[in-house]
Amino acid sequence: MPASLFPPLRGACLAFVLAALAGPAALAPAQAQGTGQKVVRMAFRAVETGFDPQRVDDLYSSAVNGEIFESLLQFDYLARPVRLTPLVAESVPEPQEGGLVYTFRVKPGIFFADDPAFKGQKRELVAADVAYALKRLRDPSIRSPYSWLVDKRIVGLDEAHDLAVKTGRFDYDASIAGLAVLDRYTLRIRLKSPDFNFLYIFTMPQTAPVAREVMEAYAADTMAHPVGTGPFRLAQWVRRSKIVLVRNPGFRGDTLDTRFADPSDPVDQAIVRDLAGKRLPQLDRVEIYPIEEEQPRFLAFMNGEHDLLQETPATFINQVLPEGRLAPALEKAGVRFQREVAPSITYDLFQMENPVVGGYTPAQVALRRAMVLGHDRGAQIAIIGRGVDVPAQSPVPPGVVGYDKDFRSGPLQDYDPARAKALLDLYGFADRDGDGFRERPDGSPLVIDYMHSTGGQSARAVAELWEKSMRRIGIRLVPRGVQFSDQLRDRKAGKFMLGGAAWAADYPDAQNFLQLLYGPFSGDSNDSRFKLPEYDRLYEKALSMPDSPERTALYREMNRLVLAYAPWRLGTYRSYVHLYWPWVLGYKKHPMYHTSLKYIDIDLAAQKAGAKP
Amino acid sequence: MVAFILRRLWQMIPTLAGVILLVFFLFNWVGGDPAMVLAGKVADPATVENIRRQLGVDQPYWYQLLIFVKQVFTFDFGRSWSTNEEVSNVILTRIGPTLTIMVPVMVIGTTLAVLFAILVAYVRGTLTDRVVMITTTAAMSVSFLVYIIVFQWLFGFRLGIFPVQGWTDEFWTNLTRYAPLPIILAVIVGLAPELRLYRSFFLEELNHDYVRTARAKGLSERRVLLRHVLRNALIPILTNIGIYLPGLFVGSFLLEVFFAIPGLGREIIGAVNRSDFPVIKAVTVYLAMFTMVVNLVVDVAYRFADPRVTFK
Repeated sequence: MPASLFPPLRGACLAFVLAALAGPAALAPAQAQGTGQKVVRMAFRAVETGFDPQRVDDLYSSAVNGEIFESLLQFDYLARPVRLTPLVAESVPEPQEGGLVYTFRVKPGIFFADDPAFKGQKRELVAADVAYALKRLRDPSIRSPYSWLVDKRIVGLDEAHDLAVKTGRFDYDASIAGLAVLDRYTLRIRLKSPDFNFLYIFTMPQTAPVAREVMEAYAADTMAHPVGTGPFRLAQWVRRSKIVLVRNPGFRGDTLDTRFADPSDPVDQAIVRDLAGKRLPQLDRVEIYPIEEEQPRFLAFMNGEHDLLQETPATFINQVLPEGRLAPALEKAGVRFQREVAPSITYDLFQMENPVVGGYTPAQVALRRAMVLGHDRGAQIAIIGRGVDVPAQSPVPPGVVGYDKDFRSGPLQDYDPARAKALLDLYGFADRDGDGFRERPDGSPLVIDYMHSTGGQSARAVAELWEKSMRRIGIRLVPRGVQFSDQLRDRKAGKFMLGGAAWAADYPDAQNFLQLLYGPFSGDSNDSRFKLPEYDRLYEKALSMPDSPERTALYREMNRLVLAYAPWRLGTYRSYVHLYWPWVLGYKKHPMYHTSLKYIDIDLAAQKAGAKP
Repeated sequence: MVAFILRRLWQMIPTLAGVILLVFFLFNWVGGDPAMVLAGKVADPATVENIRRQLGVDQPYWYQLLIFVKQVFTFDFGRSWSTNEEVSNVILTRIGPTLTIMVPVMVIGTTLAVLFAILVAYVRGTLTDRVVMITTTAAMSVSFLVYIIVFQWLFGFRLGIFPVQGWTDEFWTNLTRYAPLPIILAVIVGLAPELRLYRSFFLEELNHDYVRTARAKGLSERRVLLRHVLRNALIPILTNIGIYLPGLFVGSFLLEVFFAIPGLGREIIGAVNRSDFPVIKAVTVYLAMFTMVVNLVVDVAYRFADPRVTFK
């Protein structure tokens, strides 16, 4: 009995619950933990898949990996905009040979957590572990969903991959020209072409060094045996139900870097006050519960069963933040909140090779522009998104390098059905047979296929809104619900006309978003198959440049081209509200990390006292 | 009886073959492409092709079907395509939480339904009977989802009697702390239709001549009901239990999702969404086998419930 079969009924029930929640009596006292240990309990909104850093791509497994494993680099916890700092590398390497070579030196004296695979010996992290992790990304037998991070980038790695495809075995002992281990702690990476964004991939758990002997010892199920150098280790894993992390006793310890704290930000100042000088991590134990449904996730926080609620479900936003302010009952209970505009965008993409909605002639562009203008994005944000999300102005969201806060899509993306109709009339999209729907200029039917996933209610609601919006301007649009995997398949194969999509930053540079429209990536990441020589030229030029005003100007020009040719209907920059009880100290949602547990502390006295509304 | 059982076992083979063919063709014609899910968000055709090759979905259909048949007979369905966990482990670890919920639901629900049904049947036509019938009709018209949402809010959050969600790896903790609310919910939701159904069975029996004869012989009403009516009504009740028994192993997906119970129902839905064919295959085949065995057991049980039943 899938829940989605009962949206109206469900909505009514939720409304009932919400109405009841509005009263202060609905807030239950927080449960005192009373164990003397510092424990954080929280939920994930989706289930995990496993904890092999190179094998997983879901956000939640990666978040756990980020607590167990350590990458070479990291983003500073407090710095906004985000700032690269070393983690297990001694420093952030400078690009050499014009962005072709990067040399990392691993800090000596960092050890993996103890594990039987090390046969009782302490195992130090070395440069070869980093090279091994990068090779694993291209090992066909690993089936890494993040192989694209190094695909066609590192000299010799693709050849090793191709050989492995032929022989059926990746030779980890063979030397690869682009991955030179110069000594115990030094790794030199040589790229095929200059890339000034290359360093960003070394902040991701997917590139985190792993110990070869661990991977070989647990080859049958590496997902269940994560052994890293990070602040936590996996103590218990009940798949799809509970993930327990405990402090890694062998962790070298860390302290909060306060250099980039914003003196005018009260959150930063509170964090500095609470954490400065403390040895991190402070938490003894973290319990994570994957809960897909919104109500139990929300109630578990409100009940005090959980200490932290990341990404408050949109259904409950109006009760948590009526008129944008924390509800009085929550405020009285001491609940705190943070708003986050995530480096993430939703959009609808046109298939540019499709004879109906694709193409670059004035009439074809006009059709897309009219559809963009006729689509009521405001209603989508207000009704479906409960007014939380922010309308996107360009393909580049806030929080990434290259984002231009002054850039406005203006009249090219704003809802204006009158202009949409005028544009369609001008280019000959008229209703010739009087059925209320327009035909194409040559008289053939104009029917738009809108592909959406059947996996969630919101995707269906968005599709229905598209249908309604297009009907208003005389365009017949037919929603087509497909399974998620079929949606991926059809998008890659170009078998669609228009469909919804989303992208979250892998690394905080505009290039990570603008590559979605780069011509040569058609069929890979460029699902709309947008191929505009001028855009591609700008993209390639920007790729060979470090961050600079000149490169930002190129990004701005690319944004303008996207608006002009309209391969996308820009949707929203995703926004979230995060809630936490007053005994949770040090919490600040990082735009690039789902969790940063190393920096969280618990005020045991406050927790024991509980917070009664 | 032995010949009957052997004949029924023999008949299971073509049924199982039908199940295998149906699952195989449904997956290949209607199911999604697992390689697209596994390839990640930036999937080039070579990566997708490599994954297809590793999963074996690039092989001819006849060969894939052959492997499926082999898996059925060796009980080895390999590993989950999405998590790399052994399918046998998936089933063995998820079946426990599901049964922790569903077995008490079945036992308590059936006991209460039979008890109430016989009492209501006994007072048929009275105000009590009518009130119960109206109440059960109203209860049946409300969606299971509504019960879950309201009960979770009321008993889990508002009154704080039960935890909103949770599960541990300790059986007694689960049974006494996390399972009660889902069990109560499922029992209450299941009670109305079962009570009505069983009531009709008892009413039918109460109208038979043997009941009148028993009463004429001076037997107490209690003896008439429990010794004669209940026993004769057991056959349709057993049939009904037999129908629902395989459902014990799949559990209630909604309960498992809302109460974060790591059961088989939740796993199956996840497997379908991920096009994780090894898990889907294993669960479907095991469930089909179990259903056939349960049907056989129920047929044999008829004989013990009613000695007039013969095996042919």
